[in-house]
Amino acid sequence: MMRILNICVIGALVLAAADVYKIKFESTRQAQRVAKLRLEIRRERDVVAALRAEWAKLDNPARIQDLARRHLALKPVDSRQIDPLDNLPERPADLVPVNEADPIGTVIANPEVLDRSATGSVPAATR
Amino acid sequence: MKAAGADQPVTAREPRRRFVASLLYGRNVDRTAKTRARLGLAVLIFVLGYAIIAARLVMFAAAPEGHGSRRAIAQDAVATARPDVLDRNGEILATDVRTPSLFAEPHRIIDVDEASELLTAVMPDIDAAELRGRLASKRRFVWLKREITPEQRGQIYRLGIPGVGFLPENKRVYPNGAEVSHVIGHVNIDNQGTAGIEKWLDARGLADLHLAGLATDRLQKPVELAVDLRVQHALRDELLAARATFKAVAAAGLLTDVRTGEIISMVSVPDYDPNNPREALDPSRINRLTTGVFEMGSTFKALTLAMALDSGKITLKSAFDASHPLQYGKFAIHDFHAQNRVLTVPEIFTYSSNIGTARMAVSLGIEHHKWFLRKMGQLDRLRTELPESAEPLVPKRWAELNTVTIAFGHGLSVAPLQAVMAIGALMNGGRLIPPTFLKRSEAEARALATQVVKPETSDKMRYLMRLNVEKGTATRADVKGYYVGGKTGTSDKVVGGRYSKTKVLTSFTAVLPADQPRYLLLIMLDEPQATPDTHGFTTSGWNAVPVGGAVIGRIAPLLGLEPRFDLPPADKLILASAGGR
Repeated sequence: MMRILNICVIGALVLAAADVYKIKFESTRQAQRVAKLRLEIRRERDVVAALRAEWAKLDNPARIQDLARRHLALKPVDSRQIDPLDNLPERPADLVPVNEADPIGTVIANPEVLDRSATGSVPAATR
Repeated sequence: MKAAGADQPVTAREPRRRFVASLLYGRNVDRTAKTRARLGLAVLIFVLGYAIIAARLVMFAAAPEGHGSRRAIAQDAVATARPDVLDRNGEILATDVRTPSLFAEPHRIIDVDEASELLTAVMPDIDAAELRGRLASKRRFVWLKREITPEQRGQIYRLGIPGVGFLPENKRVYPNGAEVSHVIGHVNIDNQGTAGIEKWLDARGLADLHLAGLATDRLQKPVELAVDLRVQHALRDELLAARATFKAVAAAGLLTDVRTGEIISMVSVPDYDPNNPREALDPSRINRLTTGVFEMGSTFKALTLAMALDSGKITLKSAFDASHPLQYGKFAIHDFHAQNRVLTVPEIFTYSSNIGTARMAVSLGIEHHKWFLRKMGQLDRLRTELPESAEPLVPKRWAELNTVTIAFGHGLSVAPLQAVMAIGALMNGGRLIPPTFLKRSEAEARALATQVVKPETSDKMRYLMRLNVEKGTATRADVKGYYVGGKTGTSDKVVGGRYSKTKVLTSFTAVLPADQPRYLLLIMLDEPQATPDTHGFTTSGWNAVPVGGAVIGRIAPLLGLEPRFDLPPADKLILASAGGR
C-alpha cells in the first residue's frame, strides 16, 4: 500500500517538475517577447514623435502663408464677406412645379410666370 | 567501529538488526532521539528554503521590474524626456525627438591618434585638438558630440572604433520656430528648462522626477496652453509688418480672453528662435510685455475714469474745466488735443484730456487713487506661470503731483500685461482675473476672480471705449462688424532722466465686441517713426490704432467671432442695456 502511494507521489513529482519546467520555459519566452515588443513600441513611438514634429513644422502657419502667397490667388477673409444664415433671403418660389416633365415647355406656354422671377437677391424691376 | 557489545540491552527478536545498528551508530547512542533531531534539522532546512523562495516570490511580485529595467532606463535616456506642449487646439508647440549622441570610454581606446583621425573625417565640424584631448583623458566616460545625425551615426558605426558608443538622447524641438518663443521659452543641452513655460514645467516637479531617473518616458501628459497658434502667427505677422513700416525699436501685442484671463496670444518682436537659445541672450529681444515696465500713457486714463465712475461721486454727466493748462509749481499739464473749454466725462475720454483726468483724480484724493490702483493690481509685481516678471516702478513718495501725472499714465511704470489685466477687469463686468498661459474654464476663472468695480461701471467703461472708436482717437480701428471699442495711449519716453520730445511709446487697447466683451487686445509700438502716410504724426492714432485694426480684422474670424452689422451706436446699445439692469 505504502509502496504504491510512494510510486504515485514520485510520479506526481516528476510530472510537476516537468510542468514547472515547461511553465518556466514558456515564461522566459514570453518575457523575451514582451521585451522585444516593448522595444518596438518605444521605437515606433519615437518615430511617431519625429513625424509629428515634422508635420508640425510643415503645418506652421508662417510656412503655409508663404506658400499660399506664392502659389494661390486667395486673400484673407474680410468681415464683410461673412453673413449669418438669418440674413439669407427666402428662396424664391419655383416657376414651375419641381416634378414637371417639361419645365421649359411649361414656361413657354405660360410666359407670365417669368414676371415673378428674380435673379439673385436683386428684386425684379417693377414695370 | 567497535564490535557489538554485550552490555547493550537487547530483545531477542532482532539480534541482526541490532548488530547492524551498533555497527552504524555505535553502542551507546539513543537512536530515536538522534533521528528526531535529524528530522528536525531537515524540516528546518526545508522550511528555510521555502521561506526564502516565498520571500523572493513576494519581492518579485511587489517590484515587477527591479534592477534590470532601471539599468536600461539609465542607458537609453540621458537628457530628460519632457512632456509635449500643445496650443489650445492641440497643435504641437514643443516636442521631444530622439537623437543619438556620441560618447567614448577613453580607457578602452587602443589607438587614440587613429580614432581621432577617423572621427574627424566623419565629423569635419568637430575641433580635432579638443577631440584628441578628450580621447586621451583619464576619465571613464566623455561626450564627444551631442546630437549627431543618423547618417553620421551609421558612418561612425561602420568605422568600428573600440571604446566609442552612442546613447540615444531626447532633443527638444520647437517646430514653429520663433512664433511662440517668449511664451514657451527654451531648454539647455541637458533638456532642462531655462525660460518661459519650459522653466515653469521644471519648477513644477519635472526636475525632481529627472533626478530620480523617472522622467524618461514620453508617456507624460502633454501640457495644453491657452495660446492659439494661428492667432499668434497672425498677430506676429502684423507686428513684424508694423515694426518695419514705422521703423519701431520694438512692437508687442497681447490678446487675452476677458472672461477667463487666458492669454490667447503674446508676441514681442524682436524675438528669437528657441531652437537656437543663444539668440535669447540679446537684451533687445526681451519680452516687453512681462519683463519690461512702461509708462502706459493715456491707456491708464481708463483706470482713472473707472475709479471716478465707481466712486459714485462722478457720473457720465459730470464736467471738468479743461480750459487752461493745469499748473503745478513749475509743471504745467497740457492737453494734446486741447479743446480749451469745460469737458464732460465722455469728452475727457474721447479727447484724451490730461487736464480733465488729472482734475478728476485729484478731486477723489491721493489715498483713494493709491487704494484703487493697488486693488487693480498695478502697484505689486504680477506673477504668472512665466518665471520672468517685472516689478512696477512706483514713486517712493506719492504726492499730489504724482496722482496728477499717474492719472494720465505718467510717473508709474507697469508691465503691460498688468495693465491689460486691469483693463480686462473694467470690461468684463468688474472681475479682476489673474492672467494665465494655461487653459482655464470660465468656472475656474470665476473662482479666482475678485470683484473690483461695480458691473454698472464696467458698462459705462465699455460705452466710453466704444465711443472712442466711433468718434474719438481710435476711429481707424473701427473694423466693421466687430463693434470694437478702444483706448489709445501715447507716452513720451524717458531718455536720460527727462521726457523726450521725439521718442514715444504708443499703445492701443481694444475690446471686442464692446457690447458683449470677449477679447482684449493690446498693441504697443516702441519709438515708432513718422511715415508719409501719418502726416508726420507719431501718436498712437496714426500707428498703433491702424495696426490694431488690421490685427482685429485678421484674428476675429480665427477666434470664431461672428460679425454683426447695423448695430446701433454705443449710447443706444450699451448704455440703454445698462440702464435696464
